[in-house]
Amino acid sequence: MLLQVKNVALSLKREGKYTKILDDVSFQVEKGETVGIVGESGCGKSLTALSIMRLLPEKAKLEGSILLDDENVTEFSKRRLEKVRGNQMSMIFQDPLTSLNPLHTVGRQIEEALILHTDSNKAERKRRVIQLLKEVGLPRAEDLVNEYPHQLSGGMRQRIMIAIAMACHPKLLICDEPTTALDVTVQAQILDLMNHLKQINDMGIIMITHDLGVVAEVCDKVIVMYAGKVVEQANVKELFLNPKHPYTKGLLESIPKLGKRKEKLGSISGMVPSPDQMPSGCRFYDRCSKKMDICKQEIPPVQEVGEDHITACWLFKKEVEEDDTSRSKGFETTLHH
Amino acid sequence: MDALRYIIKRLLLMFPILFGITVLTFFISNTIPGDPARLAAGPHADAKVIEELRETMGLNKPLYVQYGTYMNNLVHGDFGFSNFSHQPVIEDIKAYFPATLELTLFSMFITILIGIPFGVISANKKDKIADQFTRVMSLMGVAMPAFWLGILLLLFFYLQLGILPGSGRLDTGLSPPVTITGMYTLDALLSGNWTVFQSAIIHLILPAITQAAVTIGMITRMTRSSMLEVLKSDYVRTAYAKGGTDTRVLYGHALRNGMMPILTLLGMTFGHSLGGSVLVESVFSWPGLGKYAVNAITYLDFPAVMAVTMLIAILFITVNLIIDILYQVIDPRLNYD
Repeated sequence: MLLQVKNVALSLKREGKYTKILDDVSFQVEKGETVGIVGESGCGKSLTALSIMRLLPEKAKLEGSILLDDENVTEFSKRRLEKVRGNQMSMIFQDPLTSLNPLHTVGRQIEEALILHTDSNKAERKRRVIQLLKEVGLPRAEDLVNEYPHQLSGGMRQRIMIAIAMACHPKLLICDEPTTALDVTVQAQILDLMNHLKQINDMGIIMITHDLGVVAEVCDKVIVMYAGKVVEQANVKELFLNPKHPYTKGLLESIPKLGKRKEKLGSISGMVPSPDQMPSGCRFYDRCSKKMDICKQEIPPVQEVGEDHITACWLFKKEVEEDDTSRSKGFETTLHH
Repeated sequence: MDALRYIIKRLLLMFPILFGITVLTFFISNTIPGDPARLAAGPHADAKVIEELRETMGLNKPLYVQYGTYMNNLVHGDFGFSNFSHQPVIEDIKAYFPATLELTLFSMFITILIGIPFGVISANKKDKIADQFTRVMSLMGVAMPAFWLGILLLLFFYLQLGILPGSGRLDTGLSPPVTITGMYTLDALLSGNWTVFQSAIIHLILPAITQAAVTIGMITRMTRSSMLEVLKSDYVRTAYAKGGTDTRVLYGHALRNGMMPILTLLGMTFGHSLGGSVLVESVFSWPGLGKYAVNAITYLDFPAVMAVTMLIAILFITVNLIIDILYQVIDPRLNYD
């Protein structure tokens, strides 16, 4: 197993007190697998990614465990983290323009990862930088090395970000909305490139997005998050064909479909509750079309609803009783923290 | 080539500015009450002598004629004759200005060496002890009047401990090095005179620290606030995601991006100090431009006042130009325009 995220909880300090942003988040990523994390903005997708990279604000409290190749990232020292970041795991961000240093040349920014993690000399590094630029499909690599981010297009900039991330052959690549800031035509190219690189390098990818189209295109497995919790997890086909959680269903209904005449696009009414006013029961309660009394009082347990398909919803209570072990296990670990 | 054209254009723009300055200074200094001839002749001179002096100084002619004569001389490189030092003003400037330049360069050196790292550290350790420490230090530096700090330093290091000299540019008994630049430290180095070099350096310490105290405080605060802004940016996060160490991210990525306001302030204080700091020069009997200018004003020595004003203007414009060029060296997005 490449990455195991187990019962991760994250609290951030806001106005003097800690508020829990992520609660009991667990999932796994295998080698060569792309795992999508979807959800509305503010659901904790990006913070999940930043928790794995340990790029959190200083006053963040991270609980649970994140095992990268069976080593617990949450226990890494600062120095150890510096060795792992950009080397064993890398990250690509949403806006490639602001994510690249405007004052350094593209070549220098890619080379930096090599300086930090390899013993190569200048000539070797230069060769590798040009090779990387070619790998990410950029033309005239030799000239590009000396250019600055502002001289490139959005798609090119994101390719540069990918080149930086790929420089040291990471095992895990985390992509935080990598195509959101790009033109639609460029989006597909970038996704193709990432699929291609994944196959060559046999790495695991975490794809954070709010775009279910992206999920359908590149992911093997999908995690649906809502208000800091995982509400459903399944392989991509299963999730699209057989969604269980009312929130997932709502998300899927909000995608426009070709050839289907519909009066109105589905939408989920209401808003995500704010982290310091989380309901005691199901967090989706207020917005759920199928709410029951129990939903308001008790947190829905995580339960299996199919092969490799889990969800946290009281609607599937019967199945819970049959398979009680997984549920209580999850609960115990959270209570310990 | 663009750069050269830009510099030439900026230098040409200097002339209208300087012309404006001559007009202002000339008419203001000639319309303030006081009789230069009376002062030049001394307290016991009789009316006839004063009248003769007035005639030779050209003070009886209409103001615009006087201005015309002055400008004519100026264009031919003649800054006029000082009636108090009894030599051409340009000779006075040559004698006094290098002392000020030397002191300014030293205090700026100290400022940059201490102020910028202090600012970076306090931004990185925001609200922690290091930040509080630099905050107190810079407030003290800014709040303490230069003459007061100068006197305190003198009392302690000169009178009490007797380890540093209290006045002048060299130990008595030492003769100044061969004049090349007029800056004793540099001239001594160039002529290989080690004893004079050492003496010149230790004479610089107290005045330079006194002068730097205020600027260190300002630069520290400016660096801090600029860095706090930059540290929030996405490319700083990218640099950490690559595995960058604190030092690398702070000085390699963030500082350069936060350098603009720091440079602006450095330029302003540099230009300002070059005009001579009267207080510091008085406390340490430093024979610099500030003291010379104050004397010139007190004795209504118009040619000297004009020359000092022109010199300060030229220096300010030059420093500004250098800063503008530096902006463009730092930020490739700015174009020579």
